[in-house]
Amino acid sequence: MNRRKHSRYFGPYGGRFVPEMLIPALSKLEEAFFHFRDDPGFKNELDRLLRTYAGRPTPLYFAENLTHESGWCRIYLKMEGLTHTGAHKINNVLGQALLAKKMGKTRLIAETGAGQHGLATAAAAARFGLECKVFMGEVDMDRQYPNVFFMRRMGAEVIPVREGTRTLKDAVNAALKYWIEHLEETHYLLGSALGPFPYPLMVRHFQSVIGREVKRQMRKLERRPPDVLVACVGGGSNSLGLFHPFLRQKSVRCVGVEAGGRGMKPGEHAVRFSPDGRPGILQGYKSTFLQDEYGQVLPTHSISAGLDYAGISPELAHLRERGRVEFVSVDDRQALEGLSLLCRTEGILPALESAHAVAYGARLARTFSRDQAMVINISGRGDKDLFITARALDGENWLEFLSRELSRDQSY
Amino acid sequence: MTNPIDTLFNERNATRLMTHVVAGDPDLESSLDLAERMARSGADLIEIQIPFSDPLADGPTIMASNQKALDNGTRPEDCFKMIRRLRERVSVPLLVMTYANIPYRRGGKRFAGECAAAGASGVIIPDLPWDEPLPGLRDALRNRGIHFIHLVSPGMSDDRLKTVLGLASGFLYLTLRVGTTGAASGIEPRGLEFLRKVKSLTRLPVAAGFGVSAPDQVKRLKGRVEAVIIGSHLINLRRGQGVEAVESFLHLCKSSGNGRPRPE
Repeated sequence: MNRRKHSRYFGPYGGRFVPEMLIPALSKLEEAFFHFRDDPGFKNELDRLLRTYAGRPTPLYFAENLTHESGWCRIYLKMEGLTHTGAHKINNVLGQALLAKKMGKTRLIAETGAGQHGLATAAAAARFGLECKVFMGEVDMDRQYPNVFFMRRMGAEVIPVREGTRTLKDAVNAALKYWIEHLEETHYLLGSALGPFPYPLMVRHFQSVIGREVKRQMRKLERRPPDVLVACVGGGSNSLGLFHPFLRQKSVRCVGVEAGGRGMKPGEHAVRFSPDGRPGILQGYKSTFLQDEYGQVLPTHSISAGLDYAGISPELAHLRERGRVEFVSVDDRQALEGLSLLCRTEGILPALESAHAVAYGARLARTFSRDQAMVINISGRGDKDLFITARALDGENWLEFLSRELSRDQSY
Repeated sequence: MTNPIDTLFNERNATRLMTHVVAGDPDLESSLDLAERMARSGADLIEIQIPFSDPLADGPTIMASNQKALDNGTRPEDCFKMIRRLRERVSVPLLVMTYANIPYRRGGKRFAGECAAAGASGVIIPDLPWDEPLPGLRDALRNRGIHFIHLVSPGMSDDRLKTVLGLASGFLYLTLRVGTTGAASGIEPRGLEFLRKVKSLTRLPVAAGFGVSAPDQVKRLKGRVEAVIIGSHLINLRRGQGVEAVESFLHLCKSSGNGRPRPE
C-alpha cells in the first residue's frame, strides 16, 4: 500500500524512527488498525467488552466534599480506577488485544511501569487465550509488587529489566527488542500514546472513550461542557484520552500534571517541560525528552512508577507548543497530600499517579468561580501502591506489620 | 576525491571484513588500540560506534558496551577525536555508527562536519530510515563526500527495497536476520534468500552481518557478498579473552575469506 492514510506526525513530533526491519510489522499494524477502527463488527465487539468486561461507562462523580474543601468550582471525578484491573489502561488493551486477535497473533508483549498496563494486558491475554510476556524494570517490580504477583496469577511471564535506569524507559527498550526478535507471532501492546507510528494515534484513539463519556455525562449533569480538565501525564494515555474529544472546544482548558519528584535537579524528577527537556528522537518517535546536552537520556524519578519516564506523547508535545494543553508539575510530597485529601474527603483511594492530578486540581479550583466545573481524571485506584504509601504515610505500623508477617507461622 | 569505500570495493573479487568498535569501552585509548589492531589483523572497514543511552538495534553485548562507555563519561566529541587519531594510524575506511538522537541534538550539518574532520568515509544510523527526516544531515554528508549507509533486512516490502536501492551509495548494510545485534548466531536460509534477491536487483556492494561469529560462516558468505560484518562476537572475544583473541580470530577469518593479500 503506497497511499498514506494519515500523517505520521503531530506538528513536528512523532514519526517512525525505527530500524528498517521493524517497518513491515508497523505497516501491517497501521493497515489493520485503520481497517478495523471503523469496522462495525469490530466496534461492536470492543463496545461489548468495554461494557461487560471492563465495566464501562465509568462514573463521573460529583465530589461534593472536595468541592467544599477546595472552596470554589464544582469538582467532578472521572472514575477510571473503577474499571476492571483498576486503571484506564484496560481501554487501550482491549482495543489492541482484539486487533492482535484479528491479525492472527498468538502472543502479547507489553512494557509496564506501575504495573497497571501489564496487569490489563495479562488479563486480556488470559481472556483471549494468548500468551503474555510483560517487561518491567527491576526497580518498578519492587515498588509495585502486588501487580507483579497478580500478573503472574493471570499466567503472564513478568520479565525483569536490569538495563539502564531499570524503570519504564528500559522496559520499553526491552519490549521493542523482544518484538524485533519475534515479529511473526507477537503483537507489541504498547501502553502509552507514544512510540513509533501508529502507536501514538492508536492508543489515543482507544483511550478517547474516557473523554467521550465525560462529554455525555457532563451534558446530563451540568448541561454544559466542563471549564477545565486535569489529568496526570506519564506517557500521556489517560490525559490524551480525556482531553482529545474536547480539543476543538476552545473554552475547555486542558491541564496536564507532570511528576515533580524530589526536586528539579537532573534525575530527581520527570518534568519533560523543564530546562532539561529537549526535542529528541528515542524509542521510535520524536518528542520532548529529558536528556543531557549530548543527547543522552537522563534518569528520572517519581514516587509513582507510572509517571517516571523521560519522554512524552508526541501529540502532547505538539499540543503544548500550540498552547492548547498547559503543563504543571506536582512533587512527591504534594502527591501524597493529594492522596490523603481524596481519601479523607471522599473515601476514594487514587493511584499515586492520579494523586498528582488531585493535588493540582484542588489547588487550581480556587481560581475558578462557583458556577464553573472541573473534571479530574482518577486514572487508577491506589491499592497497588500499598508498599509505597504505607511506608510513606504510616511507616512505623507498616514496618511492624511486615516484620510480624515474616515471623508468622506458615498458614492462611 | 574518491571515497575510500568506493576504492575498496572497486576490486570485486575479494570478501572484505567489517568490524565494530564501541568508542569508550572500556576506555577511549583501548578502543583506539583495538581498532588499530583490527585493521592490522585483516579488518578492511571499521565501524566506530558513538555510544548512546538507548541503543535500539543492539543486543545485550553492544548494549553493555554502550553503557560502559557512557559510564566512563565518553562524549561524542571524544569519539570524533579518537576516530581522527585512528585515521592517522590506519588506512582502512572508517564509518561512524550511532543513533539518530546524537546527530539530531548536534544538528545534521555540524555532525557531518565532525565526521568529515575526523576522516570518516561513511555514516550508519540504524534508527533513521530513509523516509524520516533529520534536518541537514543527508545533504551535508553528500556535500562532503561521505556515504550515508542504508540498511536492508529480510521482510522489507519490494517497494521500500527498490526505493532504498535508488537512494543508497557506498554499500548496502544487509542484516541476514531480523533481530538485534549479537542476539543469535548462525546464518538463516531466509537471510541468504533475501541476499540473493538483493543481489539480483543491484550492483551496489553488499556488506552482510547479524549472526556471524565463526570463520566458517565467513567462508559460507564468501563470493556472495562484498563484505562480512562481525560485531558483537569480537566484543565478546575482547571482553572474555583479550585483544589477542580478536586478532587471531580476524586472521582466521581472513584466511577463510581469502581477502586481498596484505602488504606487511
